[in-house]
Amino acid sequence: MTAAIQVDGLAKTYNGSVKAVDGVSFSVEAGEAYGFLGPNGAGKTTTVSMLTALLAPTAGRAIVDGIDVFADPASIKRRIGLVFQESTSDSDLTGRENLQLAAALFGVPRKEVAHRIDDLLQKLQIADAADRLTKTYSGGMRRRLELAVGIIHSPRVLFLDEPTLGLDPQGRAGFWRYVQELRKEHGMTVFVTTHYLEEADGICDRIAIIDHGHIVATGSPSELKDRLGGDVVTIRPANPGLAAAAQTALALVPGVLAVTPQDGTLRVKCLRGEELVPKLVEACDKAGVGLAGVSLKRPSLDEVFLEFTGREFREDEGMTATDMAVRLGQVQQAWGRSRR
Amino acid sequence: MIRELSALTRRELLRIARNPQALVTALLLPILYLLLFGQAFDLGALAASSPGGQAALIASIRGAPTYFSYFSAGMAGFVAVTATLFIGANVIFDRLFGVLKRTAATPATATSIFGSRLIAGSIQPIGLAFLVLGLSLLLGHLGLSGLQVTASLTAVGAVEIVLAVVILSLMFASLFLAIGFTIEQPQSYFAVVNAINLPVLLTSAALYPWGTMPPWFRNVASVNPITLAVTVIRENLFAGATAYYPYGPAVYLLGLLGWAAAMMVLAIVLARRALAPKQ
Repeated sequence: MTAAIQVDGLAKTYNGSVKAVDGVSFSVEAGEAYGFLGPNGAGKTTTVSMLTALLAPTAGRAIVDGIDVFADPASIKRRIGLVFQESTSDSDLTGRENLQLAAALFGVPRKEVAHRIDDLLQKLQIADAADRLTKTYSGGMRRRLELAVGIIHSPRVLFLDEPTLGLDPQGRAGFWRYVQELRKEHGMTVFVTTHYLEEADGICDRIAIIDHGHIVATGSPSELKDRLGGDVVTIRPANPGLAAAAQTALALVPGVLAVTPQDGTLRVKCLRGEELVPKLVEACDKAGVGLAGVSLKRPSLDEVFLEFTGREFREDEGMTATDMAVRLGQVQQAWGRSRR
Repeated sequence: MIRELSALTRRELLRIARNPQALVTALLLPILYLLLFGQAFDLGALAASSPGGQAALIASIRGAPTYFSYFSAGMAGFVAVTATLFIGANVIFDRLFGVLKRTAATPATATSIFGSRLIAGSIQPIGLAFLVLGLSLLLGHLGLSGLQVTASLTAVGAVEIVLAVVILSLMFASLFLAIGFTIEQPQSYFAVVNAINLPVLLTSAALYPWGTMPPWFRNVASVNPITLAVTVIRENLFAGATAYYPYGPAVYLLGLLGWAAAMMVLAIVLARRALAPKQ
């Protein structure tokens, strides 16, 4: 099977020093659904922007559907579909007019335009609102229209950049159901970025976990979970000062694979966690460590993320690389002015 | 290329048609000038009070029958400036609302994205210019100062007036598109545009009688694009006016075309740069 997307050492550096994407390499098979999973600012959107010829890379190479993205941006744009995280539909046009415009720009054969638009409007359940201005659409309808615009030309590779951002769980589930149906029907390759773990788990054949511009792990969702080696019991000592003592005691319990401290708790990796919990509690008791709480987690992508990045999966409160680049530029400008 | 250009132009025209408030805003300033400035600035009354004053006034306004007639032709040209201003502003809003990004993700060329906006921007002011002329005529029938057309307007003359408005609009649409593709914030755009608008109007012959301008001012005003367009309108509306101008309408149209071509080149360079993959 040939690769639909082949990326080698792709990097984007802003202002010469802020590395938004730091040399990522991966390949996506034709027909595969491949996910980029990471927190805000990890470099997901920057990667998509480069792969869709909207942003020039600082280094690296990308081949999409057999075409060098950076050598021939126009051909790439004709072969791929792109759904942005923000709404980009034209609010002064109706849903149908938005699709007609996209069809003309992508060069959909004139004879097929009307039929294809009707078909998509039906499938994505926006047929009833097709002739209304899109400024009257709900969030879910706008997202579905974005998807319709992204696939009007039956692209071979579809890029979805956090496509369900801001949708309620029901809207998200609906969106992904349509994507899966379209995949089945057209055999499209799908590249998706998300920071919703359950989405990546449910949709993707393979996932790359990206953090601070680096890919830290790749594999199918089940492979990644298997790499954790089992369940995770989280133990919270009543007195955080005794965490070290508890760690020593817990590590000696037979069946425990590893104990790692994290934010005042201890993550105990083990097999058959539910059987081990009483023994872990007993070990702490003997070591004189009182407990404030114990919880057992089956492996999930949350755990996978924590395992590979050392951080809980949550939205980063810090600045993204782009924010940092902008801030750096401002500082440099101010510095330049003050020296003049 | 033709297909994407016509699809994008259709989008721009639909958008203009669905936002009539932009057209009203474009007409606001010229109409205020007609209803207030034009009514109060009664040079005719001043001329009538002195012997030979009327003849001197007509020479000063280059063959127009009244100052208001001379001035309202100027406003028909000025509306091309106030109307095309929105074409540049639309670029800024399209960037803010993601529409520009969506278009950049399609195979549409920068030339069509720019060209569609330029075409829509240059069609729109034709109707507005005739609306200003129509309103000026109507004012005369309402007992106010109004436009008096003293020449019999020929088909060629009407085409020349349309061309003058279209080419002036091409020039200003290019200028405002160049600014719209370069500046990202709406407030900065309007600050820059306002800094251009009024000086361009005030250095043209749209408002002042030619005869009252000092020679240096005439030199500036005679190359001002609004003057060139307004001259074409005046030469066609007022009988005998051509005798007061060194050239016929065709020469002024050519001069205007030069301005438009220069602005289009500048705008297309800036638009292509703005629409190229970001560095």
